[in-house]
Amino acid sequence: MTSPDNHNKRKAHRVMEFAELIKTPRVDGVVLHRPFMPTVEGTLCLTGHHLILSSRQDNTEELWLLHSNIDSTEKRFVGSLGSIIVKCKDLRVIQLDIPGMEECLNVSSSIEALSTLDSPPLMYPFFYRPMFEVIEDGWKSFLPQNAFKDLESMTDEWRLSEVNKDFTVCPTYPPLVAVPKDIDDDTLRKVATFRHSGRFPVLSYYHKKNGMVMMRAGQPLTGTNGRRCKEDEKLINATLRPGKRGYIIDTRTINIAQQAKARGGGFESEANYPQWRRIHKTIERANVLQEGLIKLVEACNDQSHSMDRWLSKLEASSWQTHVKEILTTACLAAQCIDREGASVLVHGTEGTDSTLQVTSLAQIILDPACRTIRGFQALVEREWLQAGHPFQQRCAQSAYSNNKSRQEAPVFLLFLDCVWQILRQFPCSFEFSESFLVLLFEHAYASQFGSFLGNSAAERAKLSLPEKTVSLWSWVNRPQELERLTYPLYEANSLVIWPSVAPQSLLLWEGVFLRWNRSPKCLDEAYEEMVHIIEYNKELQNKVNTLRRQLAQLETEDPLLQTP
Amino acid sequence: MEFSEHIKTANVEDVVLRQPLHPSSRGTLCITGHHLLFSVREEEGGSSRQVLLLLRNIDATEKRIAGSSGTITIKCKDVQVLQLDIPGMEQCLNIARSIETLSGLDCVSDMYPFFYRPPDLSLQDQWGLSSPERHYSQMKELHDRWRLSTVNRGYSVCPTYPPAVIVPKEITDDMLLKVAKFRQGGRFPVLCYYHRKNGMVIMRSSQPLTGANRKRCREDELLLQVVIDDSDKGYIIDTRSRQQAQQARMMGGGFESKSCYSGWKRLHKQMERGKALQESLIKLVEACGDGSHNMDRWLSKLENSKWLSHVQTALSTAGLLAECVERDGHSVLVHGSEGTDSTLLISTLAQLIMDPSCRTLEGFLTLLEREWVQAGHPFQQRCAHSAFSHARLQQESPLFLLLLDSVWQLWHQFPLALGFSEALLLRLATEAYASDYGTFLCNSDQERCSLEVKEKTHCLFQALLRPKEREPYSNPLYEHTELAIWPSVHPQSLQLWRGFFLRWTLQTRHLEEAQEEIRNMVNEWGKLVLT
Repeated sequence: MTSPDNHNKRKAHRVMEFAELIKTPRVDGVVLHRPFMPTVEGTLCLTGHHLILSSRQDNTEELWLLHSNIDSTEKRFVGSLGSIIVKCKDLRVIQLDIPGMEECLNVSSSIEALSTLDSPPLMYPFFYRPMFEVIEDGWKSFLPQNAFKDLESMTDEWRLSEVNKDFTVCPTYPPLVAVPKDIDDDTLRKVATFRHSGRFPVLSYYHKKNGMVMMRAGQPLTGTNGRRCKEDEKLINATLRPGKRGYIIDTRTINIAQQAKARGGGFESEANYPQWRRIHKTIERANVLQEGLIKLVEACNDQSHSMDRWLSKLEASSWQTHVKEILTTACLAAQCIDREGASVLVHGTEGTDSTLQVTSLAQIILDPACRTIRGFQALVEREWLQAGHPFQQRCAQSAYSNNKSRQEAPVFLLFLDCVWQILRQFPCSFEFSESFLVLLFEHAYASQFGSFLGNSAAERAKLSLPEKTVSLWSWVNRPQELERLTYPLYEANSLVIWPSVAPQSLLLWEGVFLRWNRSPKCLDEAYEEMVHIIEYNKELQNKVNTLRRQLAQLETEDPLLQTP
Repeated sequence: MEFSEHIKTANVEDVVLRQPLHPSSRGTLCITGHHLLFSVREEEGGSSRQVLLLLRNIDATEKRIAGSSGTITIKCKDVQVLQLDIPGMEQCLNIARSIETLSGLDCVSDMYPFFYRPPDLSLQDQWGLSSPERHYSQMKELHDRWRLSTVNRGYSVCPTYPPAVIVPKEITDDMLLKVAKFRQGGRFPVLCYYHRKNGMVIMRSSQPLTGANRKRCREDELLLQVVIDDSDKGYIIDTRSRQQAQQARMMGGGFESKSCYSGWKRLHKQMERGKALQESLIKLVEACGDGSHNMDRWLSKLENSKWLSHVQTALSTAGLLAECVERDGHSVLVHGSEGTDSTLLISTLAQLIMDPSCRTLEGFLTLLEREWVQAGHPFQQRCAHSAFSHARLQQESPLFLLLLDSVWQLWHQFPLALGFSEALLLRLATEAYASDYGTFLCNSDQERCSLEVKEKTHCLFQALLRPKEREPYSNPLYEHTELAIWPSVHPQSLQLWRGFFLRWTLQTRHLEEAQEEIRNMVNEWGKLVLT
């Protein structure tokens, strides 16, 4: 433990580091251009984490932009007037006109340096102190042991294993995982050596209706000479009912799975897993998805006014194809469980990307609880954060980055897009509205909260995130925020919801991709109007109830008043 | 009854009907002169179901015979596809032949509107919502400078105009006779919209018949001159490209030259029409029905159909027109060639953009009546066939559907500004192709008059406005706004009209349910306010 004194010293040191990067902390007379908003002239200030533009007038909104939200910048000069075009990870593009060439160059190099700092302890969540009262600590809202209690109430066939309590068996798994009751920790350790990154099969979802389960894992390391692992076979067979077959959904094509053997990976052969039927799907790899995102956003910002060009660019981005493939695979997994009454194991290569897309979407289809605000948080916590999706690597850059992408990929954004497609098809079955999905997208890429920092539970523990940062869920789970995210027409729907995955049914997610290309005014007004109606409705309902009570009272007091 | 000779088999038992959004069901099929009637026999506890389809709604049929039974696939003009499994080869062939013949009959006075007699409507009722006379008398501001001319009574001057039209006061009927000779089909410039805010107007006409040797018509020039009288200039929006307008001269048509119409600035906007538009619709519907589940293929077929490009052009040309009137403060004359298709499309859309009184349910129907039915859009020719027909294309072209799609885009972008619902647009899209009512029969007022359509059929617009009918067609969220509603015409802003083109798929159903829920909420709210 570091003493508070030490901590403050270190912090002071860090502030020094930021100061070095900021050559010009303040410029006056800067003009800000934002899409569909009036231009603002004011003073630009750079701090360690924010770019701030303030007009010092009460009625104009200030700009507070997190440096970590900046994806790329461009500068242009006309005479001594410089312009910096700032492209954000949330896909917004703004422009700052800065008088003075030197100031402009200084500001631009500071922004570049500050927006690309990638050491987590330097990030804003470690400096952010909440301005709101934390009612419920989000870091404690969705602990695996609590989730397991729900499972225990439904079945006794599973146990919570602590085999990974110090992250040595699988660095990307949480300390606690649910595994078949009959499989002991020694077996798990052996299985872990047979699966990519130690990701042995664990429980992802238990289908209460028929007791079938969905598991996820990394690929088996069979290699070219067809290695096998009896313990692995035993583990997954332990989830099958006598005489029943299960399905393995491999998110890669058979060709890619074959090629993986040469690099030590592979798939479950029919010979060694006779009780399992393997199905291969085609969810693209991370770098292809990233390219798709870049192309899509480029198309959305195209100002050429040509319908043909727009449609062919949209097609060329393949984004909608990715959405369709992911949704189709999730439907397949859900179908195997709900309709075929079979258990399912899902994996691709590492089991940290497409695997999680499939398992989490299948749960939204199957499990009504995941369609509530809290349930969806639990799902993101369980299937993405705890399950080890490398958020920091994947969300380091978004669609405007010029860097050759390495680890970046919009895997989580695609998941949110797929959820949006289902939500759009079944608007009343979700407790939350689109704005919750947009919020998650924003915070995954840049946030004052610590939730999406780090790449795994192990990294988050090492960074002491729960102690040093605020959880996004602490912010979201306050009454005023919940109210904003709730969909007013929600009606709990206990059924499985099967989305249509025909290409004609899938739409471009305007709320994210065309968000800055349209005026927010009308949409905001419509939303306010809706909220107004609902509030007025409540008020009137209360009035009706009061009047009814009064009437009832009068009737009992004076029987003569009772009209026949 | 002459229909009976086309019906060899009127009744078949044990027919299986497969229809989108419904489980397949077994029942009795009847063919009558105008309808295909399918009814499910009442089962124990189960509810009976009837499907009544106007034969006129059938665009194409396909039959397949396998063994002793056959299957008829029925493709409707409202893009629904049904399938009937009929036992007995002969019966199947008879039914198919009857459907084909009866759905293809094109004698107007034999059509169903002349037989449709609902108990709650009377033929004595006034036919139509308004008339040119009433339109004129309602707009007092006009009366200083414009008059109602009855030069066309008896339809002798322009067969496709109504008997009364609004023209500049200074232009006499004799002059109009001369102008009519100078415009294709006699469609001389008439007033279609008066912008109260600044007194500017929209007029429409057909192309001037200048021909290769640049004929002029002093009266035509004078007519246009008096319209812009004291202001500096006016605009002519020609819905053809400059090149197309040049070529039209070879065939006797033409455009207003700068030298003869000095106060007028000509703008050319190329709008697709005729066959090309019909082919676009066919391609789009084909793409929508493609079950191949391939995203790239769907997007490239959608692009290939060019339908959304046509929607974009329609809205952007209408936007240009409205901009000339509302923002620049100039009067505008619109025409293409005949002045009965794209001309009406953009004058209608521009009025919706600018004029709040067109955006109510009554206002919109009155606008359609004035700008499409009375203004002489040839509905019968344009809507004879829809997207499935194998017949050789003649005059078919989905201009009215393109209008409804463009209106839907407005509705989609301004969900509170229009007083009518998507259901109205869908109903109109169906009725234009096959209807119980006489509103969309014939090609002009003259034809309707000679067939006594107004005496012998009922009017759709009036039927829609009856108290018990109108609710689903009004927008529960409507709020009147005086402002112009400027649509975004960025390709990214325009969407496929799923409500129509994917109407028979499951997901549209859920959207309908959501709409229904909104309606219920607003109704509940209204009740609470009353108590």
